[in-house]
Amino acid sequence: AALSRRYVLCEVVSEDPRCRQCIEDRAVGLAVRDAIGRVHGDYGLACCSISFTVKYLNAYTGTVLLRCRKDSYRLLCSALPFVRQLESRNQRYPCFLNTLHVGGTIRTCQKFLIQYNRRQLLMLLQNCTNEEERRCIQKSLLSCSLTEEQSQSGDEEDDDGIE
Amino acid sequence: RRELPDGGARPSVAQFKQLVVSALRELHGEVGAALPVDVLTYEEKTLSAILRVVSSGLVKLWSALTLLGFYQNRRCAFRVLQASPFLLALSGNSRELVLD
Repeated sequence: AALSRRYVLCEVVSEDPRCRQCIEDRAVGLAVRDAIGRVHGDYGLACCSISFTVKYLNAYTGTVLLRCRKDSYRLLCSALPFVRQLESRNQRYPCFLNTLHVGGTIRTCQKFLIQYNRRQLLMLLQNCTNEEERRCIQKSLLSCSLTEEQSQSGDEEDDDGIE
Repeated sequence: RRELPDGGARPSVAQFKQLVVSALRELHGEVGAALPVDVLTYEEKTLSAILRVVSSGLVKLWSALTLLGFYQNRRCAFRVLQASPFLLALSGNSRELVLD
């Protein structure tokens, strides 16, 4: 395909639990573009903004999927560590973005995300103390899979004190 | 060499360097501003200077200087007279060379 894009999967990590309500596509998009503008100037900002959008967002897990052109994904990835806060509705919370995966299609990122979430659930399973939570996690682990319609793995039990 | 036509106060060496770095910062961000640029010579009378930069940074430097339009709210322009990998080549301007 002549018009290739890269999809960057990252997660928003924050010490403040109220940051989760700030995770929305406009706020994240603005924060990332602001960081690109600071780090790479007008040229980098224009280069990366050509085909830049926030494709997918999950506020519960803090997962964000960004899309950009293949020619400028390195500018985008190098500017992601400079995102320091998310701002929305006149509230700003400090956070940082962790890059999980860079893929050429949404499908590869989705596959990676399902495996990653499965591993996170396993880690939560090891660390949880309550028997009932254990059963809930095991049930969602057994039910997550990649079906033909875009289904996501079970994302319950995320605030078990692991953050 | 760079030349900037101006009407009023002339920048000093430090201000000139600051101008170059801020042009880089505007067009290429912090990455551009971190590009190591050296001012080798500077003549305040003619406002021309010889700058040194890594060869991989020439495109960034040249484009940033081309797009710089203002110095202290006055219009200005950078003109590149010569660019060469060897310092000795800058001593003679081959554009004004007359063959007899």
